[in-house]
Amino acid sequence: MAATTERDTSSIRVRNAVKTYGTGERATTALADVDLTVPRGRFVSVIGPSGCGKSTLLRLVAGLEEPDAGEVSIFGATAREASAAKSIGFVPQVPALLPWLSVLDNVRVLDKVNRRAGRRRREAAGPAVEGCELAGDPVQLLTRLGLGDALTQRPGQLSGGMKQRTAIARAFALQPDVLLMDEPFSALDEFTREAVQLQLLDVWHETRTTVLFVTHSVTEAVLLSDTVVVMAARPGRIAAVLDIALDRPRRHGHLDSDAMHACEHAVRAELEQAWADVLPQDAR
Amino acid sequence: MSPGPRRGLRAAVGGLHPRWWVPTVVALAAAAVVWTVVARANPYVLPALGAVGDQLSTQPGFYLRNAAATLREALLGLLAGSVAAFALAVGISESGLLRRAVLPLVVVLNVTPVVAIAPALVVAFGFGILPKVIVTALITFFPVLMNTVTGLRSVAPPVLQVFRTVHASRLDVLWRLRVPSALPYVFSALRVVFPLSVVGAIVAEFSAAGSTEGLGTVISVASSNSQLDRVFAAIACLALMGSVLLLVVALLERRVLSWHESQARPS
Repeated sequence: MAATTERDTSSIRVRNAVKTYGTGERATTALADVDLTVPRGRFVSVIGPSGCGKSTLLRLVAGLEEPDAGEVSIFGATAREASAAKSIGFVPQVPALLPWLSVLDNVRVLDKVNRRAGRRRREAAGPAVEGCELAGDPVQLLTRLGLGDALTQRPGQLSGGMKQRTAIARAFALQPDVLLMDEPFSALDEFTREAVQLQLLDVWHETRTTVLFVTHSVTEAVLLSDTVVVMAARPGRIAAVLDIALDRPRRHGHLDSDAMHACEHAVRAELEQAWADVLPQDAR
Repeated sequence: MSPGPRRGLRAAVGGLHPRWWVPTVVALAAAAVVWTVVARANPYVLPALGAVGDQLSTQPGFYLRNAAATLREALLGLLAGSVAAFALAVGISESGLLRRAVLPLVVVLNVTPVVAIAPALVVAFGFGILPKVIVTALITFFPVLMNTVTGLRSVAPPVLQVFRTVHASRLDVLWRLRVPSALPYVFSALRVVFPLSVVGAIVAEFSAAGSTEGLGTVISVASSNSQLDRVFAAIACLALMGSVLLLVVALLERRVLSWHESQARPS
């Protein structure tokens, strides 16, 4: 039913997306008529309770699943076309590294698959893409992420935080049009998480890649994002979209500022509202 | 002597420390004593250790030649069985059609005792090396096939997803993800089938009564002539051969799978 919109090459658009798992009575609607626009160069977080469909939304954009209805457009291309052109960088919840390769080779391994798309991207990009220098050099990228001393180590020798940073470097090294991150820091302890968040921001600040970031941490969403999308569950839908008007670059000091707390408060209020619609009276 | 180099020396000869070899030596000595006692009491069941040693030391050429024949059968069978199993495993993991077609056949073949098949193979292929290689290959085939199939499927879903988001071809996924992921599984199968390959070769030699060489032939001829010392000398050769094969596969595994947790040194 969604009218085919004009090809929009300046943003990622999800239009009236519907996704249902299962059939009959046991069917659950993961996404009910979801609309989302992510303009180029923005860092957008999706937050919500578990089961609200935020990961499903990310997987639709990644082309890992097809919507039952509606459409996904990544700068004018379908998700399938975008992945065929190697313009999607995906960071899953677990690092998903190859244990037989060194850190550096793990970052380089995607260069070796779908080479034709890689060549085409390099030709199309030309030499003068901003942030290209950093993302185009795996060693520099890893050094920036604090892994300069671990280039030759195998994943088995790394801590959880180092593994996840390697996975992030692998995604950045593709120099994708969009980075999709599915709760990448949820398995890390709090200290490690804060450090990795700031390193991610540091690299992102230089590359300005469009990011769609799924999280269940309010603090993380506010610290990282330009925009926070709050989702509600059963059925999965977007409850609110909040812009985070905090200055960049954001540093550790900002973690405790009043402005940040105000933003967190606003996000929490929306989340509670979303919960209230779902939970039965006695569970509140 | 300063303590520094002494410690280094001790580390270097760590494997030679009495703590490591004394238990083994004591156990071997105890076994030898028991053997000798039993052999004294029942000379027609067990030869004296000295007689077995005499056999080996007076005719080393004879045992070496027959051991080489058996080893050749075992290794050729291993090679043929492993390569065929690996190739079929790749085919099965890539094609559901092939899996449904072939797997029942393979399972039936596996539950059929190889000892029962061996005489039929001798009838079909004669007393040469071919039936022995086939029997060994059959023994090797199933463990390698099943472990490789499991291994090829052992790639974690998130890794596959990352590869899918860059539109990796099936060949890329196979070569860069599935095959390396399968290696630990392949090696655990090889650890089983390397020593087992000797069993295959011996069984085939037993079944081919007219064979001219091989330790299995030596054993069956010598036992029908009640030459117990010769039987046990051949058995000793087989035990040694099995151990060497196991050692080879362990060293190879340590080399190839240095990244895998199974090779982590205990700390």
